[in-house]
Amino acid sequence: MDLSAVIGLDASRAVDPASYAMSGRAPGAAVRPANRDELVEAVRAAAGERLGVVPWGGGVALSWERAPERYDIALDLRGLAKIVEFEPEDLTLTAECGVTIEALRDAVAARGLELPMEAAKAWGATLGGTLAANASGPRRLLLGAPRDRILGARFVTGDGVAARSGGKVVKNVAGYGTHRLLCGSHGSLAVIVEASLKLQPAPEARAAMIYAMEAGDVADAARWARFPRMEPAVLSVVGSAIAMRNPVFAHGTAFTVVVGFEGDAPHVEAMCAATRDALGTPKLKLAGASALTLWQHLADLEELMGPRLTLTSATHTPAALAAWATGDGAGATGDGAGATGTGAGANTAAAGAPSRPPLDRAVFHAACGKLHVFPHGADVEDGAADAPSPDVDAMLLELHAKGFALTNARGLAALTPPSPPSSALRVLREQARQALDPNGTFALAR
Amino acid sequence: MSWTSDHLAELRALLGPDGVLASDAALFTYEADALVLERTRPDVVVLPRSTDEVAALLRWARAHQLPVTPRGAGTGLAGGATPEFGGVVLSVNRMDQVLRVDPERMLAWVQPGLVNLWLSQEVAKHGLYYAPDPASQQVSTIGGNVSTNAGGPHCLKYGVTFNHVLGVTAVLHDGSVVTLGGEACDAPDSDLMALIVGSEGTLAIVTEICVRLLPKPEAVKTMLFDFTTIAQACRTVSAAIAAGIVPAAMEIMDRHTTTLVEEWLHIGLPTDAGAVLLIEVDGPAVGLAVQVERISALAVAEGTRSTRIAKDEAERASLWKGRKSAFGAYGRSASGFYIMDGVVPRTRLAEALETVYRLCEERGLEAGNVFHAGDGNLHPHVLFNADDPVAQKSALEVSHEILRMCIRFGGTISGEHGVGIEKRPMMSELFAADDLAVMGRIRDAVNPDGRLNPGKILPGGGGCREGSHADAREHAHAGATFVPRSHGGQRPREDVEGPWI
Repeated sequence: MDLSAVIGLDASRAVDPASYAMSGRAPGAAVRPANRDELVEAVRAAAGERLGVVPWGGGVALSWERAPERYDIALDLRGLAKIVEFEPEDLTLTAECGVTIEALRDAVAARGLELPMEAAKAWGATLGGTLAANASGPRRLLLGAPRDRILGARFVTGDGVAARSGGKVVKNVAGYGTHRLLCGSHGSLAVIVEASLKLQPAPEARAAMIYAMEAGDVADAARWARFPRMEPAVLSVVGSAIAMRNPVFAHGTAFTVVVGFEGDAPHVEAMCAATRDALGTPKLKLAGASALTLWQHLADLEELMGPRLTLTSATHTPAALAAWATGDGAGATGDGAGATGTGAGANTAAAGAPSRPPLDRAVFHAACGKLHVFPHGADVEDGAADAPSPDVDAMLLELHAKGFALTNARGLAALTPPSPPSSALRVLREQARQALDPNGTFALAR
Repeated sequence: MSWTSDHLAELRALLGPDGVLASDAALFTYEADALVLERTRPDVVVLPRSTDEVAALLRWARAHQLPVTPRGAGTGLAGGATPEFGGVVLSVNRMDQVLRVDPERMLAWVQPGLVNLWLSQEVAKHGLYYAPDPASQQVSTIGGNVSTNAGGPHCLKYGVTFNHVLGVTAVLHDGSVVTLGGEACDAPDSDLMALIVGSEGTLAIVTEICVRLLPKPEAVKTMLFDFTTIAQACRTVSAAIAAGIVPAAMEIMDRHTTTLVEEWLHIGLPTDAGAVLLIEVDGPAVGLAVQVERISALAVAEGTRSTRIAKDEAERASLWKGRKSAFGAYGRSASGFYIMDGVVPRTRLAEALETVYRLCEERGLEAGNVFHAGDGNLHPHVLFNADDPVAQKSALEVSHEILRMCIRFGGTISGEHGVGIEKRPMMSELFAADDLAVMGRIRDAVNPDGRLNPGKILPGGGGCREGSHADAREHAHAGATFVPRSHGGQRPREDVEGPWI
């Protein structure tokens, strides 16, 4: 069946469904509307036909996601890729959802500004996708989440109503913050069509210090105690199996730790000196544009492997990982995954200690407490199916016991949440869905 | 339903005798917030102490189908805490505890009735503070701040209330309790929390709040520049931003305001200046001197007549006192005035102000301006003789035109006080019908019988289905807060400088 015809768009808007496979499963059809009107028309028609729609940006995360039961239409939003309004002196920007993070970053950098958003594969990740995932990178605490930076949005509800909330100015409390609700909704409530963002000036200086560390150093709470109040831009811990994929990180130790600062040059210098006092001389120090490139490398790490758990902790130092970095955590079998060193840790950890999060396959952006773990440890090239199956539920329980709350389980089969949502919470979530997608058009319901 | 003594007895059983107010005098006090023109007497005022008590109260109110209007300190200028449909006013004043401070992880759980400034005072011993600082922070509550997503002078650099809330516990319309977000960044259900913050009590009653605390800046520098024209002051603000500097605060007072404040407080403000510009920078001491130099140079380039840099904390406090006393100064002098809370893009500030003055002049009215220049958040005061109904009417018309100008310039009708009752009709000018319809769908889904703060925010009478007088109350003075010289029991307290804007 020609679904693109069914949903009322010209045949020239149909694109190859194979490009929109989710964990290997392609949709019935894929369309790429060329403008806002076509987008509204497509959603409206799909809703009328009771078709399940998944909005697509760059597919950076979605291609790893499990396809929903009703995967009828992939709605590619990259045809809407204009920067609508850029007011450098107001530090605001309004752009369509399909523009890439890299394109936005370049546009604002040309005027000495900083895009306060980070995304893995920024060359392909779109504004809409990054907002919908409320995605962030190593500088999450410094920049805020997309939800903190969005000023307003235009969106299309599941029954095809084009609406907006918020505005384009930096202070605005008129009406509900629906645009903030959509951040983190993963396209399950509405399609973000266009959004306005609050920008900031680029910092005068940036510096990155790269350390090779063993488990004991990472777990040592005293060594990190000062860091939260130093407000580092970056304080990220990279496990060995991930670090080995990029020559800039440490090889041969259990962890690479990156400490970074941004701001006035004398301040950055002072903070680097304080870091040296606490941690010693780094393996490598980068500054300026090289540091910025390193931040992107760090952001990219979360997309190096397939199925992924993303968790968040209020403890903003590497020592939050102490329970599993060294050998004394629950479910430990001698030396933990983190301590076994390069490469080989992946499978042994999964097989031998199924409930222990494999830290060699983890990235922890400690400055904001965000942890990405790849429980299967499959290589991008290998595909998830080849890896032995760890007990992900037990792993979640173990992480939860140490204060890590699950925010996203990408590409993983139904999990047993360590703290199931209350019935009141389920009702509230359902009410929000009813309000914005009453027909259940958006198939990736959360 | 009619109100009976049984109701009071039931409430006293739920909340204790001290938790229920029903005397005439008490009810009078809760008729309105700082929008005093709009008054409705509630049937009862309740003062719960905990989430459980709020939940019990909401179950009770649901059983009796009574509206519930939450209230913090009542400093809002938009009528958000006015019990327009009677029923229950839920005051959070007895929920004023700091529940837990975690200095290491730099966060705190607080009850909604905690006064904003008290939190910073409480955590100062840990070298921490709570950044959002609405000018009313000496009296306004964190719960009230959450309900309006309040701003303040320092939100230019540090962001508004929402940016500092990590999690909330909230009671829904049927008395069920949810926790949204948590202590960590982006904790589960932060998206729903983001919807609740700023919803003016129309979706849920927030009973516990987890806020992010920040390390106190190592150093602060406060500067005051004076200019011949207000346009020069506005250009200096833009120049600072264009130079890549985001100060902690940038506030402008026009000549009218400066004169009123100086006549009152005698703190050495130049009364012949077209405008004064207060700029504060904070952060690591090592970078601050350079920032002060750069900003001063920009002000000189725009033609500042003088530069004053606070030498010590006392002088800094005095400069801020001048700024934060502006509202009180107007209250002392004008017989009546309307205040607006509009926002325009920062780059159009000078043009917007010119329009404000011109619109007023055309009608023979005087205008004063004191505003958060860095954010483009204007608080024009349109002055008139309260005994002259013709003048009052034209002042009201001017106020509407000023807000329409804000919309036309790409801005909005409220930067920090919320929509409440008074800006409700302006919502249809700011938003299209479909935009408002979707907001209505959200309210109707989460607050299905419309009893949580009924009628607020959305035009057309709002959600209280048993209410009959909603439409009649779509009154004429939308978008501007009328403050007569004597306005009964709700006058801003004299003992706290009256810092309300």
